[in-house]
Amino acid sequence: MNNFLKITALATLTIPAILFAEDDEFFTPKSTIGGYGELHYNHSKADGSDAEKILDFHRFVLFYSHAWTPKWSFKSEVELEHNFVKEGQGELELEQAYIDYHHSDEFGFQVGVVLPSVGLINEWHEPPLFLSVERPSYSKNIIPTTWFGNGAAIYGNVKGFDYKFTVMEGLDATGFSSSGIRSGRQKGFESNAEDLLYNFRLNYTGVNGLLVGTSFSYNNATHVDSSSNNSVSLFEFHAKYDANNFVGVFELGNITYGEPDLIGGVESSFGYYLDLGYNVGSFMNCDTKIIPFFRWEDYNTAAKTEAGGDSEKANHLTTWMVGLSVKPIDQVVFKVDYGVSKNELSDAKTKMFNFGAGYMF
Amino acid sequence: MKFSNFYILLLLFTLTGNVFSSIKNDAETSIKNIFGEESTLTFEKFKLQNELKNSIEKEAKQKFFRDEVYLWKITKNDSSLGFAILDNVLGKAMPITFLIIFDKEAKILSSEIIKYREAYGGQVGNRNWNEQFIGRNAESSFTVGKDVDGISGATISVNSVSKGIQKLCILAKAIKEKP
Repeated sequence: MNNFLKITALATLTIPAILFAEDDEFFTPKSTIGGYGELHYNHSKADGSDAEKILDFHRFVLFYSHAWTPKWSFKSEVELEHNFVKEGQGELELEQAYIDYHHSDEFGFQVGVVLPSVGLINEWHEPPLFLSVERPSYSKNIIPTTWFGNGAAIYGNVKGFDYKFTVMEGLDATGFSSSGIRSGRQKGFESNAEDLLYNFRLNYTGVNGLLVGTSFSYNNATHVDSSSNNSVSLFEFHAKYDANNFVGVFELGNITYGEPDLIGGVESSFGYYLDLGYNVGSFMNCDTKIIPFFRWEDYNTAAKTEAGGDSEKANHLTTWMVGLSVKPIDQVVFKVDYGVSKNELSDAKTKMFNFGAGYMF
Repeated sequence: MKFSNFYILLLLFTLTGNVFSSIKNDAETSIKNIFGEESTLTFEKFKLQNELKNSIEKEAKQKFFRDEVYLWKITKNDSSLGFAILDNVLGKAMPITFLIIFDKEAKILSSEIIKYREAYGGQVGNRNWNEQFIGRNAESSFTVGKDVDGISGATISVNSVSKGIQKLCILAKAIKEKP
């Protein structure tokens, strides 16, 4: 790909915006802050071992943004995980930091640290926006949420169709394994830019309360330590309905690997989950949303392997969960859930009980 | 797609997107669409008196963006057809400019987002979403998720705009009673 063309394209976009003054009497340049956070209590007990109890302020996040003009702004998200950072414990991450040019409803672009648009939770992960205490396992093991990196994106909305096309740093194939691609994220740390990630997402939001969409991502992932590549193609479908007191969520994703031999014969990863909830607060005529929910989740990071047989069962987990999500206001949530997950090969079960409190602003 | 094609596409987007129209003109076009070309629009910047402003803010649980709104009174052959109010609410970081058109009884005839400035949450501009407000007035409820449908991925905008519309309904009632 021609670098000169890429730069010229950017220049062409920016010049008209600079030449034409903007007529907007309501806009004033300003900075804003926002954020979210979540405290978790996790109690988990695997077959044959003692219960593990953890009290964790999992995420503390600050958004900082500044708008110079109605079209030109800067957005950022800094995240502190697990309270403090020391020798591999806890994480301090710059998950978003980009210049945004919002040309019109139909077209805009972002350059900096960006989020690829994959699944429902990668871009929208504030705790009041999902039902369970922890994010769904699918959103960790199939979609490596939060997936961020250095790059650029174009986006817009045309007749109810919302699109985003992202080009950013690729994955490091050294991190791929029978556990999926999660450990391959470079997280913007002096990222190897040998082979970039291309991600395209299309959402439809024309029906009130409904969001339905799909994305496709491709990266001919480099082994940062050697010269061999292992390409990954990630296809996913997502839908969410949240209206008339009903909440329904469904996500499904599949990853195929170009060079199974490099990761113990794993050819593909696959998973899905379904959430069903209902705001029973509506029966009591109170403004607090009280949403009991049920989840079924199924994922297998080595769903298809060259060897087949048990190797396709070893990483297969199914989970059922019931829980309650209570929102006194839309920005504050208290959650409790209980679930049991089972490994297909060993039949080993893990029981989980979680409590959480979260906020966003 | 070859990158050169992509470049041409970007160029086209840029050149064709720069059609200039002011917020006020856009609003007046929308008002004429409802009441017809023959209707007469009388524009004023309506100052919000402190007492009224405070009581509306308390009821809708949202501050006004400024201490004035844009107000049009619509008449035809000297008889009143209704009125329209343009105001702003804050989205995540930027103002969202919206227009509510009322009949002469201060009931909503139309709700429209005139200008959305953020990268995300622009779905509050969807016609379907705005149509749910038609027929509401100062006595209606505006609780998101219960009385107002939410939009996944636009939580903040939906909450903000819904409260903004409620504020204008209460204001419209006051304007109707004390023109």
